[in-house]
Amino acid sequence: MSAADRARDALSRLVDASATERVLISTAALVLSVLIGAVLVLVAGRMTTCTAGEAVYYFGMGFCYDPVVVFDRLFLGALGDPLSGGWSPNGQFAVTLRETTLLIFTGLSVALAFRAGIFNIGTQGQMVVGALATALGVLWASSLVSGALGTVVLIPFGLLVGAVFGGLYGAVPGLLKAYADANEVITTIMLNFIATGVALYLVSGIFKDPESAANQTVPLPEFAQFPALLFGGRQDFSIVALAFGLLAVGVLYYVLEHTAFGYDVRTSGVQPEAAEYGGVDAKRTVVASLTLSGALGGIAGAMYVMMVLGTFQTGIPSYGFDGITVSILAGNNPLGVGIAALLFGVLKSGTTVVQFATDVPPQLVGVLRGLIILFVAMPEFFRLLARRVPGAGSRREAVATDGGIAGDRGGETDE
Amino acid sequence: MATAVHLDGITKRFPGVVANDDVDLEVERGTVHALLGENGAGKTTLMNVLYGLYEPTSGEVRLDGEPHAFGSPRDAIDAGIGMIHQHFMLVDPMTVTENITLGNEPRKWGGLAVDRAGAREDIVELADRYGFDVDPDARIEDVSVGEQQRVEILKALYRGADTLILDEPTAVLTPQEVGELFNVLDELTDQGKTIIFITHKLGEAMRAADEISVLRDGRKVGTVDANATTQEELAELMVGREVLLDVDHGTAEMGEVVASVSDVVVEDDRGVTAVNGVSFDIRGGEVFGIAGVDGNGQSELVEAVTGLRRPDAGEIRFRGEDVTTASRRQRIEAGMAYVPEDRQERGLVMEFDLVENGLLGSQHGSELASNGRIDWSETRDHAEAIIDEYDVRPPDADADAESLSGGNQQKFIVGREFERDPELVVASHPTRGVDVGSIEFIHERLLELRRQGVAILLVSSKLEEVQGLSDRLAVVYEGEFIDVVDPDETTEEELGLLMAGERPGDDDGGGGGPERTEGGDAEETEPDAPADLTDAADGERA
Repeated sequence: MSAADRARDALSRLVDASATERVLISTAALVLSVLIGAVLVLVAGRMTTCTAGEAVYYFGMGFCYDPVVVFDRLFLGALGDPLSGGWSPNGQFAVTLRETTLLIFTGLSVALAFRAGIFNIGTQGQMVVGALATALGVLWASSLVSGALGTVVLIPFGLLVGAVFGGLYGAVPGLLKAYADANEVITTIMLNFIATGVALYLVSGIFKDPESAANQTVPLPEFAQFPALLFGGRQDFSIVALAFGLLAVGVLYYVLEHTAFGYDVRTSGVQPEAAEYGGVDAKRTVVASLTLSGALGGIAGAMYVMMVLGTFQTGIPSYGFDGITVSILAGNNPLGVGIAALLFGVLKSGTTVVQFATDVPPQLVGVLRGLIILFVAMPEFFRLLARRVPGAGSRREAVATDGGIAGDRGGETDE
Repeated sequence: MATAVHLDGITKRFPGVVANDDVDLEVERGTVHALLGENGAGKTTLMNVLYGLYEPTSGEVRLDGEPHAFGSPRDAIDAGIGMIHQHFMLVDPMTVTENITLGNEPRKWGGLAVDRAGAREDIVELADRYGFDVDPDARIEDVSVGEQQRVEILKALYRGADTLILDEPTAVLTPQEVGELFNVLDELTDQGKTIIFITHKLGEAMRAADEISVLRDGRKVGTVDANATTQEELAELMVGREVLLDVDHGTAEMGEVVASVSDVVVEDDRGVTAVNGVSFDIRGGEVFGIAGVDGNGQSELVEAVTGLRRPDAGEIRFRGEDVTTASRRQRIEAGMAYVPEDRQERGLVMEFDLVENGLLGSQHGSELASNGRIDWSETRDHAEAIIDEYDVRPPDADADAESLSGGNQQKFIVGREFERDPELVVASHPTRGVDVGSIEFIHERLLELRRQGVAILLVSSKLEEVQGLSDRLAVVYEGEFIDVVDPDETTEEELGLLMAGERPGDDDGGGGGPERTEGGDAEETEPDAPADLTDAADGERA
């Protein structure tokens, strides 16, 4: 068997892998990336100088950085040290879940557009617009209600405002694409700049908090923020928000797989001509899916304002762009977005723990993060690739042509 | 004559299925050998064994008496086998010369650079030797499908092939190009090359081949001399029972006018008027056929009727309502079924499985999906019923559409559209690429719908199909109806003249083809088109 045949067989095996096998493959990829990362940490540690007391010793050699500590901090540290006893939900674990929650929304935003065949790079801008609208809307409304009632009314209201404005901001590139044939990649990138610029102008001018040196709005009253249920000590994470996130995962999955709208979106995404044949209004589907995508980005913005900051401040971190990676890692599958967002959340929150606990330079931690994402994404990437490769593909095809082997049983969830 | 290729007792098993069962095949040097069989009979698998893509489970491949065991196509190519696949493997932006020499470029400067001039000379010489009409400097994306196929053949010859395998070579060609291809095959065999030609079209096998081997369910059921057989005999060998090649459609019981098209003008994608003022009515229980050489506006007219293209003038009415500007979805919901010309672009979502494909067009409001919610178990039953009734192989609703052969894809689409409970069926080339047994079945179903009072608009480039099925037959030429005739009262020759644009009553035709305007679809409007077209249409005329 030649090398090419072996490669083709490996690809076909990947394509035909069952769900369990795919989980095992991903886990193996994770372990492998950690092992390679450990070697990198050791090599980097060997090339740095440190005092003998700080060094660790493996195989009779001294290293300045200890890979065990690095990965221990990166993963266990991010989870708030669940193994060491005295674990508290208020620690780093809450930070991890906070990041996860926001990434779920931006990841879903990108995934939905992707499934419709649209590359929405504008989630970041939609998030900024949603965040600003939520801050201003809730500030205005908080003068009308207060107390516990205020919380119950204002949080849904704030999320709604974020969704509506994020959705409108997503509808703009949608309309431009559907009716003016404007490429959504270009328009959404430009709209990101516009959103950031206009937000800066507004928040440094008429909406600026006079009490603060930063470019931010007046802080929201306590009752207008997500309640810190179960995570008593934390002001920046709420289990309620995470519950909303998980609900969104379920709802989006249901919409895509079990509704006519979802069918239209997926058909348009993979084969627009067939969608048109099947009675799908292509223009409407483009606008609707980008609007919904923008709404999810806007909710991420609303969460950021009402849960994390308690105000709108310029310079929102790049959750929108991270959402692209989360979505690709998840194969644009809503259920996968939940898991990918958690992995990403762990890595983001763990990075800061590593920086506190060790002397490892942040760049090296970035490399370790990149390695992990690359390795975990690769099997899925090759699966997608293999479906296009004539070798693996035509082999299956030819079998089916001649009498009865169905190829890949790609269920509804693995696109 | 010597035996060039000898397959001895080839058996190829896949898990759960025997694709080839003890097949013997002997092909004489310098002949054309057709491998005939229905979709899924095992023709392609057998040739993939010969081409080294599969290793046989048992059996032996011998070339000129020498046994060979091919581990890969590379080995087969080295042994002088070339295969031209149905879908060409050419690089569009590269020139003919570059494509042919790709991977085997002549070198200069001690192997450091490609000898472009030398390569070009080689190709010109090779094309001359076999009398091929190709431009070595043209880009692949600029040349016709027929020329692309000749490039594929030249590529195999350039690599030193003595035996050429052609997989369904005529499926993508216009009738004229089919004629050219057969001339090329003659030239090749005259120069001692051996051709194996996979097809499911009886007419083509008889026309092009010296000998015909018929496969059925993975077994070879016979080898016959092409000059000493009949279409009926071949069809029976293929299907295993007697096949009615002529359809008896009986008399029509016509109902009300279901669809009416008046003075419709449609432009094609380039803004050229493709349909120029066409009018007709179709009644319930009537098959209205449109015959014509491809590219005379049939596609645009069908798209205007089905709602994929907006007419530029005129009116289309369906069940009494003006639907000229109605959306595709409104038309589907009003009861219009449509078997599209292009099954892989339009008719099926290739990445979806058959369950999901069975829903296409019904996702908005039907028993499969109501209130925007899809009932997947109902949809699965629906897909399985189509697979069962229309004999889609493999019978697996979870198979992706792209894993099916073209004929089976077509059967699934036809099934989905016919089972929509339509008022009007627009069928564009409904049996293109489908094997004889299934053609017969599709025709029967079409006539059954007609008996139930469904109106049918049938467009086909197979003359015997439109002629046999239609109650009234319109002949289209350059976007206009030349005439609407009673197909039973009209001969093939008369239709051929009409299709060439000769109006009835014109006396100055003078035997030859009529004058043509230049430009437009020059490819398909050659003066000798009608004659070739009727020849190429399979299933008729010995």
